[in-house]
Amino acid sequence: MKKKPTRPRARRAARPAVRPPALAPPQALWLELMSFYIREAWLLDERKLTEWLALFTDDVLYFMPRRKNVPRRESHRELTPLGDLAILEEDKRYLEMRVARLDTGMAWAEDPPSRTRHLVGNLEVTPLARGEAQARTAFLVYRSHLETDHQLLSGYREDVLRRVNGEWKIARRTIVLDANVLLDKNLSVFL
Amino acid sequence: MGATQKYVVIDPATGKIDRRIFSDQAVYDAEMERIFGRAWLMIGHESLLPARDDFFHTYMGEDPVILTRDGTGRLHALLNMCRHRGNRVVRCDDGNANRFMCTYHGWTYKNDGSLDHVPGKSEAYYDALDRDSLGLVEARVETYAGIVFATWAKDAPGLEAYLGDARWYLDTVFNRRDGGMQALGPMKWLEPVNWKVMVDNCSDNYHVPTSHLSSARVQSKYLGRPRLSHKDQFESPNKHAFVNGHSITFRDADDNVPRYVHGVSSETFQLFQDYHEATMPEVERRLGTLRARRVQLGNHSVFPNGVLGLRLALPRGPRQTEFWHFVLVDRDAPEAIKRVIRVGSQANNGAAGMFEQDDVDNWRQVTAASASRHARRYPQDLSMGLGHAGPHPEYPGLVSERYISENNQRLFYQRWEEFMNAESWADIPLDPIKARFDGTATMRG
Repeated sequence: MKKKPTRPRARRAARPAVRPPALAPPQALWLELMSFYIREAWLLDERKLTEWLALFTDDVLYFMPRRKNVPRRESHRELTPLGDLAILEEDKRYLEMRVARLDTGMAWAEDPPSRTRHLVGNLEVTPLARGEAQARTAFLVYRSHLETDHQLLSGYREDVLRRVNGEWKIARRTIVLDANVLLDKNLSVFL
Repeated sequence: MGATQKYVVIDPATGKIDRRIFSDQAVYDAEMERIFGRAWLMIGHESLLPARDDFFHTYMGEDPVILTRDGTGRLHALLNMCRHRGNRVVRCDDGNANRFMCTYHGWTYKNDGSLDHVPGKSEAYYDALDRDSLGLVEARVETYAGIVFATWAKDAPGLEAYLGDARWYLDTVFNRRDGGMQALGPMKWLEPVNWKVMVDNCSDNYHVPTSHLSSARVQSKYLGRPRLSHKDQFESPNKHAFVNGHSITFRDADDNVPRYVHGVSSETFQLFQDYHEATMPEVERRLGTLRARRVQLGNHSVFPNGVLGLRLALPRGPRQTEFWHFVLVDRDAPEAIKRVIRVGSQANNGAAGMFEQDDVDNWRQVTAASASRHARRYPQDLSMGLGHAGPHPEYPGLVSERYISENNQRLFYQRWEEFMNAESWADIPLDPIKARFDGTATMRG
């Protein structure tokens, strides 16, 4: 291996230290989770769904409430609570079934598969007790299917994350779409 | 196709249907008049507006309708259109209010539909406005076991006659318990399909082992649900019955097991079996032994646009339908049962449901094939089981010999013709109620 010419250590030590300031813990957590969500987006868009499933804890609740038109003063009723009919109310096993279904080659809604692009941002992180964290993100997901079907899904996600064997996992995901009547023919892609 | 057009779209001898009825604008416009303007339409459920002054916003065809419960508890189906210029007076999905104010000029209606307040009644209208004639337009409302129906037709028969002997089957789910049912939902989404394609699919069990095999296979593996194959379907003792315009399929087996509703798995089976047995004396009292123990309603459609229970195919043009998905559960069922049905239902049905998401591309391509220049010349073939249906000694309606059949679909299009060719309700045939309704259950619940 070629050795790169380096400046003598002594000279460098003699100068005042110019290094990036150390990250405060909240910033470090923010960066860690932002890269987590960027990685998740690539896994979904590249259809690596078994790896995507591994981002969830075994006791995950993957929940998408309905969103109603209610007066502004009754905003507390806008999202349907857990216990009412949801668009998605899934545990890990149901998520696994959804992924396993795609591998049968006969899940016609996604065979041929959709082309998706998940853009995830506006991350806000709140540390919780017991080392858990809450993370809110906004998303725009573009879906193109078959010849000309396409849809832009907009919304936000509110996750509770937990460290399992040193890795962040999603223990609860609430997905809120910015829609009342969904305009897509079906909801066969993951958000 | 004009107003005097006679619609002949199915050849009953061959089962060929003219596929242009799935995309033609003139046919669609006539359907809105002659079917959605006349039939009793499912619009909601009493449990969606339990308290006085509650309302639930719904549709009759494309017409927006406010289903209200007035201060005395009475239900009203009111066209959501201010009588002045036509703005909507309600923009919310549901709520509680005793007055509805139009946001354009402030005309205000009571929740029984009467016009209560007009700004400038003296100053601008010189007290000459006939407020009594300008209430919200009201449809006729009747209920069956908590399900709310409405019709615009003054000459329509009552709901009991409209449902006829179909209720004999519908009772086995919707009229099972003393406490009635509770509706959750709806989830709403737009599908690029003609409404009739969804409705006709209610009796199409032939598609299930092909369209839905991926879901059935993983649910069999992960949940221990029954396997699904063509062989099982072809050998099934279940039946098709076309009853007074309504499409019914039902399970016909004297094995005292609960219906395989969504959510039943090897883990939850005992929960459902226990519930089935615990409630059997009540169900037998309500429905009689034959219906309580032997007959279990399966997929079905109440004419014109009910899709498997209280799920609605709301037309939005010839090639678009807004689908409303509700889940109905027995109100007095244990919470554990309600939860399993709710979760199982969202996993299978609805926009994201594993089963339902695989239907839509089939339906939309069937719809699209009715529009392109060459494809539309070729009729659909609905010949399956021709000549293999008839009256049954025990069961009402025209019953097919086999479960996998296109008998109901053919008869659905013949019923469609009857509505489309009738000048008034006097021309629409109704079968007399002949079934024996054993037990105490009535239209009211």
